[in-house]
Amino acid sequence: MPIYFRDKYLPPIWQKLQLGERLSLEDGLILFKTNDLISLGKMAHYVQQQKSGDAVYFVLNQKIEHTNVCVLSCKFCDFAKKKGEPDAYEMTTDEILSKITPEIKEVHITGGMPHDWRWERYIDIVRSIHNKFPDADVKAYTAVEIDFFHKKFKLPIEEILRQLQAAGLRTMPGGGAEIFTERVRKLLFPQKIGAKGYLEVHKTAHKLGIPTNCTMLYGHIETIEERLIHMVKLREAQDETGGFLSFIPLAFQPGDTGIKPKNQFTSAIDDLKTIAVSRLMLDNIPHIKAYWVMLTEEVASVALNFGADDIDGTVGQERIAHDAGAISPMKLAKDKIIKMISEAGKIPVERDAFYNPLNVYSENVIGKIPYLNSVPFYHNLEKSATGGFKILPVAPRRMGMLSKEGQIDAGLFSLMDYFDQEENLELLDWCIATRDQVKSVMLFSKEGWTGLNGKKIGITDDTATSVHLLKVILEKKYNVRTEFVRLHPGVNDYASFDAVLLIGDDALKYNKVGLNGFELVFDLAKEWYDWQKLPFVFAVWACKNSLSDIRKEKLKDMISAALNKSEDEYGEIGNMQGRQIGLNLSETKEYLEGFNYRLGERERETMSMFRKLVNEINIKV
Amino acid sequence: MNQSLIYEKVKSGLRITREEGLLLLQKEELLDLGEMANEIRYRKNPEQQVTFVIDTNPNYTNICNVDCVFCAFYRHAGDSGEYTYTVDQMIQNFKRAAANGVTTVLLQGGVNPAIPFEYYLEMIERTKKEVPEIHPHFYSTTEIIGISEVSGLSIQEVLKKLWDAGLRTIPGGGAEVLSDRVRKKMGHKKGTAEDWLDVMRQAHKIGFKTTATMMYGHLENDDEIIDHFERIRALQDEYHGFTAFIPWSFKPGNTPLEKIIPNFAPPMRYLQIIALARIYLDNFDHIQASWFSEGKKIGQVALHFGADDFGGTLLEENVHAEANFVNKTTVEEVIQLIQDSGFTPVQRTTLYEKIKTYEFVQAV
Repeated sequence: MPIYFRDKYLPPIWQKLQLGERLSLEDGLILFKTNDLISLGKMAHYVQQQKSGDAVYFVLNQKIEHTNVCVLSCKFCDFAKKKGEPDAYEMTTDEILSKITPEIKEVHITGGMPHDWRWERYIDIVRSIHNKFPDADVKAYTAVEIDFFHKKFKLPIEEILRQLQAAGLRTMPGGGAEIFTERVRKLLFPQKIGAKGYLEVHKTAHKLGIPTNCTMLYGHIETIEERLIHMVKLREAQDETGGFLSFIPLAFQPGDTGIKPKNQFTSAIDDLKTIAVSRLMLDNIPHIKAYWVMLTEEVASVALNFGADDIDGTVGQERIAHDAGAISPMKLAKDKIIKMISEAGKIPVERDAFYNPLNVYSENVIGKIPYLNSVPFYHNLEKSATGGFKILPVAPRRMGMLSKEGQIDAGLFSLMDYFDQEENLELLDWCIATRDQVKSVMLFSKEGWTGLNGKKIGITDDTATSVHLLKVILEKKYNVRTEFVRLHPGVNDYASFDAVLLIGDDALKYNKVGLNGFELVFDLAKEWYDWQKLPFVFAVWACKNSLSDIRKEKLKDMISAALNKSEDEYGEIGNMQGRQIGLNLSETKEYLEGFNYRLGERERETMSMFRKLVNEINIKV
Repeated sequence: MNQSLIYEKVKSGLRITREEGLLLLQKEELLDLGEMANEIRYRKNPEQQVTFVIDTNPNYTNICNVDCVFCAFYRHAGDSGEYTYTVDQMIQNFKRAAANGVTTVLLQGGVNPAIPFEYYLEMIERTKKEVPEIHPHFYSTTEIIGISEVSGLSIQEVLKKLWDAGLRTIPGGGAEVLSDRVRKKMGHKKGTAEDWLDVMRQAHKIGFKTTATMMYGHLENDDEIIDHFERIRALQDEYHGFTAFIPWSFKPGNTPLEKIIPNFAPPMRYLQIIALARIYLDNFDHIQASWFSEGKKIGQVALHFGADDFGGTLLEENVHAEANFVNKTTVEEVIQLIQDSGFTPVQRTTLYEKIKTYEFVQAV
């Protein structure tokens, strides 16, 4: 439904959002000051839907606070103790390991900063957990702790992070950001590192391929302007590195801290506004987390309609353990979270530390490829998804995996995934095919095709189809043999490769701005077209064979209607995503017009030809 | 039939049908529902204001013979913990409340056949005389039916005598969900839906103002919720005797229903009910959100989903407390909760007359 604004200052902001334009700090002030909470929520929900559809993520996680002994004395903290105080504690590695159970997928480690721990002890915690529980991603040490290690052990920040990464660190928590202005820092936590130090640690981590979260502590003495300055600084850092996974607004809880905010607790309205405004301001951060342990379950569940798409996890459920009796507390906590998300009308998605979906707890799920070229299908599908289907954005490769496990009922499948699961899937009449070139599956290379013989190519982890297409072109068209190395999720150092295969929005972005050091850029769809005189088919729509006939018909009607409507709206759709990868409105329109979305004779011919060629090559990654 | 057509109807002030109500309850996005509700809320009450009343909810007896499965409050005569207070004791209670600024006493009790009709009348008369600062808002329909049975007088005669004693408003409790299927399951001695509506109808005819309530989140289905709305909307068309509609979710603690329904309905449901009530009950002046029944935070959110009243301060409350659901506030806190939600707090009487307007404070 359109938005009927009650606040006349909001429509210009809505206009900007629909064009994919970035909001200014002044826009943020208007958003915070509005009393039209519903319209604010609807705008944030719209943006969130574009990013993550109906998915709400949670993780089976465990928090480890290895010690509460701390050399700092921050005013807002009622956790830290001095060594020798009666309730001070320091955990051994064995004690830490005993707190973790095999079902845990993420271990979140933060703690105090004692003056007498050796560097090896911190490394050992990470290594021991990683070795004993390889399925659990270790998310450890806030920027404040990293900075403390840097000063105490006289090691560069990058070296600290490298050693932790080698021991098994996968991601880092976002704590310690508080509020990024010097005024607040000097008043509340003069011993902490401040904006510059915090962002330096995070940006260094991102460059090493360690994604992180970021936070904001609100509801104490900060002003609204200071909250927005904080968000803008995070947004600028994200522009540089792209390594923030999620933003977590943390409501201040006065407890025994001695700080007297205006209110004992933040109001629900402030909580919801902060979630919504952060979704709208932080256009480049993928996820906004409603941290239910602090917000309360009630407000967290409402926040899922105000722009949040993550509810954290099972952390904080320890108390339930005492009442639970025989049932595992983790199971109880998980059931409760799934219920909370389902009641908000969303898809509960259990994730790993990188937001890869592991388990999807809903029926009638349509997988969505989160690339600009699939927007014509999904833009109107999302708005009309009243047929009981829900939309889950997922990278193509993941879609294949989830479909194999029966967790997804329909979606756009990467062609290779479709071949792989052909016997369980029904092919529908739509696809993503090229007309001639595509600009979104690109090989960035230091050498010409024949010069790549014997060289190392970094390939994206996202889809098998592009990788096979590249291999087919290298071997069958150019008779060249190369080594394929998989890029890891997140940030990569491309310079160590001779060529890099990128797809989707990354390819589009670097095609426009160039990828430093790689002078040659090949469009694989164009290579294919020049060679076979056929369009290339990257993905096809398919649904589970087992879906009932009624559901199948409903689905076909939905896809057909959504695509027809979108094709009339070229120029208006995809702008938000286009802007984010640096395309202007007409470039986005032109890009979308370059695709054929209907599976016709020539596209089917391509499918047979490609299947034949793929069977003749042998892929090792 | 689709949602945007319904919205067009709502915008042009047309009444929605039962089928449209059900569609909204089952299919509409939460925020779209809230937006529609605000359309009506601001048409009826254009000011960015939220009213509240300083009140208290004491009870004169907890002895009751109705045996509702959703209730943790009642005792049988002779049970440990049973009580029945004298009129004197209650008047003392009211005086203490008045000294704390209370203007409304919402007085209810169990259905205790040992209490004579004179007791009820004396309570009203003495309150009016001895504690004139207090507006008596006494006796739910269930008690009125009980009084009629014990006294042998008709409902109409009972109501007439209560009116003559000085009672002018009656609380709307006891409606639960106005479905005989649900009511039979919940308390076999509780009257039918029509019994509740009939007491209200006769009261409105005499000139009483009452509220209408709904306790949901137990054995009812969506159809029955819409049915509830439909029946009170139809009655409101007759005499316009309802001042406000007040929904709350069933609290299962310590009740026989706890085993089947361990949790109370989620906040999403509350916001949907508040918003849909605002849309459906187009002839009601006010929809009341409660800081009490769903928690302060969700109470605040409900003010943006069509509610324009924040209920009472409930300086004394015993029924939910027996279900281990305790929520306390002060007048100052209620004022602040309303301000923090972005509204001007206005203190009102039982009849929704405005007494005192507080300051508007730009939230955040």
